[in-house]
Amino acid sequence: MKDAETGPSWQALSELVDGETDAAQAGRMAAAWRDDAALRERWYAYHLIGDVLRSDELAGGAGDAAFLQRLRVRLAQEPVVLAPVQATTAARRSLGPLRRWARPAAVAAGFVMVAGALTVLRIDAPATSPQLAVQPAPAAVAAVMTAPAAPAALVGPLPVAAADAESRPVDLAGAVLIRDARLDAYLAAHQQFGGGAALGLPAGVLRGAAHEGPTVVGAGAR
Amino acid sequence: MTADSEADALLIERIKLGDARAFEMLVVKYQRRIERLIGRMVRDTDLVQDIAQETFIRAYRAIPKFRGESAFYTWLYRIAINTAKKALVDLKRDPLVTESARAGRDDDGDETSRVENELSDGETPEALLASKQVAAAVNSAIEDLSQDLRQAITLREIDGLSYEDIAAVMNCPIGTVRSRIFRAREAIAERLRPLLDTRAGERW
Repeated sequence: MKDAETGPSWQALSELVDGETDAAQAGRMAAAWRDDAALRERWYAYHLIGDVLRSDELAGGAGDAAFLQRLRVRLAQEPVVLAPVQATTAARRSLGPLRRWARPAAVAAGFVMVAGALTVLRIDAPATSPQLAVQPAPAAVAAVMTAPAAPAALVGPLPVAAADAESRPVDLAGAVLIRDARLDAYLAAHQQFGGGAALGLPAGVLRGAAHEGPTVVGAGAR
Repeated sequence: MTADSEADALLIERIKLGDARAFEMLVVKYQRRIERLIGRMVRDTDLVQDIAQETFIRAYRAIPKFRGESAFYTWLYRIAINTAKKALVDLKRDPLVTESARAGRDDDGDETSRVENELSDGETPEALLASKQVAAAVNSAIEDLSQDLRQAITLREIDGLSYEDIAAVMNCPIGTVRSRIFRAREAIAERLRPLLDTRAGERW
């Protein structure tokens, strides 16, 4: 590994010991490892020095080279280790700033999804939601059912908001139809022309039908 | 990330690409610490070595799962503890007499055998002497360094500072720090070399 001209390659080995070099240099050292006894001896000595400086207990190690030779025989029988480290590392590095936001963004998205699901469920189930079935909205419009004979007589104030009326089905099961006494009297008086129609459809219409159709039998024909 | 973790990360990246040589470099780095750790749980020298071997093999198999969330040594430490515990359980279930334990028992009448069994890692007196010599040589070499080199190497190895921090402390360029640490190591290694060369079976 030593460069014959300049001879600083051992310094690169020293830097690798300290992790102060790059992957390319580490690759070059590993490539020379099996063939260069001087490199192995230095690698061993550099680490031994560090160990001894940290603890005298680590000054032992007679047979370290024999240990490695024995292990090498076993390693040769092991399948080659392969892990896609470069791709994942590169991807991780390039996504560095994004990764910082990924987790909070995912949590926020989760909340939005849950909130959305709850909203949809509430809208889809109006029968179980009394607030929606009978909603006393201030902007409620009076749905006026008018008959030509009784304008403004029958007024059904339907408690439905204008916006809701367009988009939602309205539950009228509990609604009360308000009837006017005068209207009832009117209907009763004209029942003979209405053929018993409970709500008294426009008499003119019925009368017209009776006149035009000779086979029609109705109150208006009499 | 500490300087130690940085150094390990560079090698682990190589290992994950299928480079077993980088793993051997990590073995040389951590072997002594792992053996000392196992030696606190197991007294038998041969068993300590076997468990250390098994620890490194398990680590090598599991290294694709190592995500770097903890330091490599912390991860290796856990593997060593679990391997040692398992070895002790297996030993209770199926006791066997290892070579070094038998050697100790055969010399029951001998005074030295008792000393041998009382050594923390089951080290032989020769090994103990050799490690004392290594420690003395390192400490002596440190004392003989110039003030700048000594400060640089101790800030790095004992205080664990990065080169950048050392440059700030010593008020010098980072290139000077690189050079000083390297020169300090070379000077100490030079003093160690005669001791390492005389170790039986040491062939790097």
